[in-house]
Amino acid sequence: MRILVVEDEPTLAAQLVEGVNAAGYVTDRAGNGVDAHFMGDTEPYDAVVLDLGLPQMDGITVLRKWRAAGRTMPVLILTARDSWHEKVAGIDAGADDYLTKPFHMEELLARLRALIRRAGGHAGAELVCGPLTLDTRSSRARVSGQALSLTSHEYRVLAYLMHHRGEIVSRSELIQHIYAQDFDRDSNTIEVFVGRLRKKLPPDLIETVRGLGYRLACWS
Amino acid sequence: MTSLRFRLLFGTLFWIAASVLVAGWGLGRLFHQHVSAQFHAELQTHLDQLTAHLEIDDQGRPTLNLPLGDPRFDKPFSGLYWQIDRLSEAGVPASGAALRSRSLWDQALAIPANALADGEVHQHRIIGPRGAMLGAVERSLTLEDRPLQLIVAADERLMIEPVARFKGELWLALGVLGFGLALAALLQVFVGLAPLRKLQAALGRVRDGQAQRMEGRFPSELTPLVTEFNSVLMQNAEVVARARTQAGNLAHALKTPLSVLANAADAPENRNTDLARLVAAQIETARKQVDYHLARAQAVATARLPGARTPVEPVVEGLLRTMRRIHAGRGLELHVEPMPSSLAFRGEEHDLQEMLGNLIDNACKWARSRVEIRAHDGQGRLLVSVDDDGKGVAAGQRDAILRRGVRADEQVAGTGLGLAIVGDLAHMYGGSLMLADSPLGGLRAVLSLASAR
Repeated sequence: MRILVVEDEPTLAAQLVEGVNAAGYVTDRAGNGVDAHFMGDTEPYDAVVLDLGLPQMDGITVLRKWRAAGRTMPVLILTARDSWHEKVAGIDAGADDYLTKPFHMEELLARLRALIRRAGGHAGAELVCGPLTLDTRSSRARVSGQALSLTSHEYRVLAYLMHHRGEIVSRSELIQHIYAQDFDRDSNTIEVFVGRLRKKLPPDLIETVRGLGYRLACWS
Repeated sequence: MTSLRFRLLFGTLFWIAASVLVAGWGLGRLFHQHVSAQFHAELQTHLDQLTAHLEIDDQGRPTLNLPLGDPRFDKPFSGLYWQIDRLSEAGVPASGAALRSRSLWDQALAIPANALADGEVHQHRIIGPRGAMLGAVERSLTLEDRPLQLIVAADERLMIEPVARFKGELWLALGVLGFGLALAALLQVFVGLAPLRKLQAALGRVRDGQAQRMEGRFPSELTPLVTEFNSVLMQNAEVVARARTQAGNLAHALKTPLSVLANAADAPENRNTDLARLVAAQIETARKQVDYHLARAQAVATARLPGARTPVEPVVEGLLRTMRRIHAGRGLELHVEPMPSSLAFRGEEHDLQEMLGNLIDNACKWARSRVEIRAHDGQGRLLVSVDDDGKGVAAGQRDAILRRGVRADEQVAGTGLGLAIVGDLAHMYGGSLMLADSPLGGLRAVLSLASAR
């Protein structure tokens, strides 16, 4: 799951990136509205944390431009102004949720998880696929109740497949969602991660669809 | 005397009445003088005629060689008389008239004794036959050594009647004139002061929030006033907008560092230390204070601003869209009773959003499954009620909730200032917030505000 964090205050931005990364996501960071708009417009993010008071282009404008261009990723607005006028304006501009500063990192993460789940059409915090369960709150996966030991990259691949279970996910899509923008990407590493995951999971859970990508096959 | 219209009307009507009265009196007097002069000139003519026809017959008695032309001299008590008296040596009339008109019948005219030079004419008012007041002219002359006194008299009614008739018609005409002038004055005041009434109406629309500025064309005397007033209104709006922007900037400037502090205190290596707890508690206090005072400062600036009118329906709908997103996970049923689209709040949109947003958000936080919102106009008051089916608030605790910073249950996220801010804002707009039991089982919050037409 790849998250865009847009915040102009460097210390707070660093804290946000650290907190979001610690929860098992990968993050890109933008410090002004113009960069944020470009990144959100060109990269496939699973969610965005958007500060409203931004230099160069304010957050509401960035959000409106994304929505006008058909970008549907969930957006969590972060702002200092606790007025309902601004909340309504934010939601009407296309935001999915709203958090006022100062905030607790736990609350931000909980809302982010809820947004990503709802965007995938999932109701609960626990995603289930056959014997495999993924708890998005604790970033833990279990098979038939047995906890799996996963590296952060393995977790990210599995989490993305779980959020899109039943769908075909291409290799390039996986790369885009598990690496940050500035990371040196190598499509071969995906095969390595999937190979390691297959060893830890029940056989045939991750199907390879020839020429297209991977699919998580869940039998009830 | 406080009404301009009354002042103008009073002055004009007073002068119209005075002019009509003076004109009536003066014209009546003038006509009376004219008729009186004519009356006496006619008597003089008759006297001259009498003098011309007078002769002394063989027996030495005065006689007329021709009857006088006017037939009224022959009709008894017709009101026109003549008489010729012989005068004694002393110039006093001898008893018994020598000669008189038929119209006098058996009566005689009595002239006060006076000595006249020959040919001199005197005027008298005497009492004649049947007690009528007569105007009389007399002349003494000596014919063939006989001193004679010639009198012609006429009933004054002959003069008074046309004057009275004239005066009647004069007053009627002046009455009509006065009435016409009064009507014209009324119309003039009405038309002349129409722009002032228009000004009043325009001001009323601004006060009721139906207009942002005074619209319309006004006479050149009023234009400076209107322009000045509009520019004051615009300046006020700018001041409010600036205050709002500054409040927002201040919030941003304060809260971003607070966020950094809060996150640092909450970092795994610091968590659960005394310092972290202290910092977290103080940040929470600071945030509450900033929110509360920013909301208040904005409302203070806007509550007195005229010209604000906010339709209720779009505000409620915008808030519901927001609530459905924010409370998406709760599966709440948010129900709004249909309300007339003309329903409006006399005040700023921001403040109505703030009040209703806090009320509805509060209801959503506490509701088990359902929130109901109703708004209607009750005798010039905008009444909005928000019901929830949560566990409600005990009657004894309701006052405490409305006081600043107290929260009924510290477990549910929120500032604890929400309802207190609503109460404060409502108060600033001359309204109120009441808490009651809801038929749904939870809390009912009723907001009463000034409604705009």
